[in-house]
Amino acid sequence: MDNNLDNLLDTYLFETNSLLEQLDELLINAEKNTDFSSDDVNEIFRIMHTIKGSSAMLEFNSLMTIAHHIEDLFFYIRENGISRLDSSQKSELFNLMFKSTDKLREEVRKVESNEPLSTNIDSITTEINSFLDKISDASQDDAVNPPSAGQPDSDLPAPSPTADDAAVHLPPDKGICFIRVFFDEGCGMENLRAYMLASSLKDAISEFRFYPPDIETNSSTAETIIRDGFYLAFDTKENAEIAVSVIKDFNNIRSYEQVDNPEYTEPEADINAPVESAGAGSVTSAAVKKASAAPGHGAPVKQNLISVNLSKLDRLMAVVGEIVITESMVISSPELADLKLDNFLKSARQLRKLTDDLQDIAMSLRMVPISGTFQKMNRIVRDMKQELGKDVRLTIEGEDTEVDKSIVDNISDPIMHIVRNAMDHGIEENVQDRIDAGKDPQGEIILSARHTGSEVIISITDDGRGINPAAILAKARENGILIKPEEDYSQKEILSLLMLPGFSTNKEVTEFSGRGVGMDVVKRNVEIIGGTVTINSEMGKGTSMTLRIPLTLAIVDGMEVSIGGTIFTVPISNIRKSFKALPEDIIYDSEGHELIRCMGEFYPLVRLHQLYNIDDAITNIEDGLLMWVEASDRSYCLFIDELLGEQQVVVKPLPSYLNNFNIKNSGISGCTILGDGNISIILDISNLYQAAQSLL
Amino acid sequence: MSEPRNVLLEDSQTTDENTNIKSFLTFIAGGLTYGVDTTHVVEIITDYSIRPLPMVPDYIKGIINLRGQIIPIIDFRLRLGNMDTPESISTVILQVDSTTIGMMVDSVSQVLDIDTSRTSPIPVESRQELTNGMISLEDGTVILLLNYEALVE
Repeated sequence: MDNNLDNLLDTYLFETNSLLEQLDELLINAEKNTDFSSDDVNEIFRIMHTIKGSSAMLEFNSLMTIAHHIEDLFFYIRENGISRLDSSQKSELFNLMFKSTDKLREEVRKVESNEPLSTNIDSITTEINSFLDKISDASQDDAVNPPSAGQPDSDLPAPSPTADDAAVHLPPDKGICFIRVFFDEGCGMENLRAYMLASSLKDAISEFRFYPPDIETNSSTAETIIRDGFYLAFDTKENAEIAVSVIKDFNNIRSYEQVDNPEYTEPEADINAPVESAGAGSVTSAAVKKASAAPGHGAPVKQNLISVNLSKLDRLMAVVGEIVITESMVISSPELADLKLDNFLKSARQLRKLTDDLQDIAMSLRMVPISGTFQKMNRIVRDMKQELGKDVRLTIEGEDTEVDKSIVDNISDPIMHIVRNAMDHGIEENVQDRIDAGKDPQGEIILSARHTGSEVIISITDDGRGINPAAILAKARENGILIKPEEDYSQKEILSLLMLPGFSTNKEVTEFSGRGVGMDVVKRNVEIIGGTVTINSEMGKGTSMTLRIPLTLAIVDGMEVSIGGTIFTVPISNIRKSFKALPEDIIYDSEGHELIRCMGEFYPLVRLHQLYNIDDAITNIEDGLLMWVEASDRSYCLFIDELLGEQQVVVKPLPSYLNNFNIKNSGISGCTILGDGNISIILDISNLYQAAQSLL
Repeated sequence: MSEPRNVLLEDSQTTDENTNIKSFLTFIAGGLTYGVDTTHVVEIITDYSIRPLPMVPDYIKGIINLRGQIIPIIDFRLRLGNMDTPESISTVILQVDSTTIGMMVDSVSQVLDIDTSRTSPIPVESRQELTNGMISLEDGTVILLLNYEALVE
């Protein structure tokens, strides 16, 4: 039972959060058009109604009350038409809506974190009510009675007379049978419970009707349901069976019975009937859409979507990872080494193919479009636009790009931070400055996402004033974070100074950015998920920040290399090529650092055996191998003993105890367990170079 | 654990309500006897291969794969600053909160039930950073109680 309630709560949170997101998106779009369409009004009404209903069921009173008041407001707007509002009232309405959705979200967050809900929500409800009073006074004095009545919907004309008929008879429906449902006595809100039941049935069955039909809007139907039961009508016995199984699992149901319809006529006669009655019967526009989308034919149109708890997918991914390891453990077992096993190898190849497929599928399950994260930025841009008085539009590209769920959760904050920075520091304060520079007076921020083979590239570009390298250098000098003479810094190096801890070029701390934490936090957050951040900027033209993030964290294609007796794994995505070199290919720079020639260019040489103090490794450049690697903006060559082969490995984080010793800065990103049970260390190519530099 | 259990209690104290009996695993490191609360001991392992890690203090011997779990191994003797480290045969796997760590010691002795109310503080002049108390037994041996929180700091 407890478990049941938990599930209910999970579903509630998921639904409510996605409704609020939907609402936010809708409001942003509506505000862009500076008007609500009648569809928008209906949609908001419907969202609020659903939130109200489900919150009431779980007894989240503050959420219910706020949603209730907004619903009242939009009920009024729906009845009287949005066009009655003048433009100042509309903008007031937008602000009010944003404020109240924020409040709702805050309450939902409290539910999530198990905190007590606010008991005092008068300020927001008074605000909604006074706005409602204002617009209703302005239009007509004898308008629909004010919302304080508590049951605002009661004066909605009942759309169908069947509610009354049902008192004694079965509802007039041509379906083959009915299910009559009674709810627990005294559970309250029977009409909303019935509505919830109907909506969960909709997922399983496309064609059914319910009576009384106006349960969603008419709260007096609660009494009818208590007295006569809630009727569900079906066209086929099969559907009724499915419904019974749904009803069985539904909460607060006292009893249900299946009743055959004596008025049932031959099936061919009512082929078109379901559409009509469904249209008349169900009130939500969604239901109408669904019914008309499946005209006539009895074929049920099911929604083939389920929501799955992320922790289950995490477990699936972990098991798949273990399978991949175990598979290579079995196949490369040393006991098989000298045997000639044709059939075994054939089956092993087949198994390999299957596990690869399994891994792909398991990974794709966790992929979600990035649009949710991007849409949130709309809201941020909107709020800051008003606050800072800058005219900026946000353009979103590639929002359908799919990334791993854990990545979506982790990039939201960095992106938000960058967008805020762009709004606050990037776009010119003064419109005249933009016009003088020959730019569109309206600033633009472009958010884009795209895939390349193994990475997702997210870039945030603004067309603002760009970053002034001199200002950065001056600031860096002030903070004492320069490590070499100023004139030695290249443009790229100057920009990457921005991402050092404690760097913020803005002199004043504003509400939105420059709280002392800055790009270093962005960089760290992106690095947690294995990504990199690069900054490009041109004075006067704008700034572009690019995040490159690996598609998945759990499994990487790795190249096993040996250095002395130890094995390391280099991610394949970092490897450019491997080659042999001669002593004369090495030259020395002025400080004695080794450089090696590759493809006509010279790259720094990092000798891993020196860096990691491995005694039994090859030191002669001719005997070993060089591996040209590249990560973010670093390109260099690693000196290794030999290549052992390519292998997919499951990345395991290093024990957290080792973080005390700054292990991340020594060029190690994690470890993996090899087929024989030994541990291989996965190298972090970009950090490794820094580790080597700091040692020199 | 198959070691014999010695109950070291004086008769007068068995009835005392203030007694606080806990099981301790005792082990020897650098010639001294240490005790660690058995609730934190996961197991004692003897045969495994350590994967050394680069660029860490010398007392971090590396990581091991213990049935799929990656566990760091430290040499307790080196951690104490003891340079004389004979070949170790036993590693005690400890779990403190969410941290699991392996600790190489000279040898593991036995499990004792010790009345912790008899713990005395270590004299200031000979205080060691990883111990937080000592108990002397009837046979004259002194057991230093391991401060495992400091160990996994």
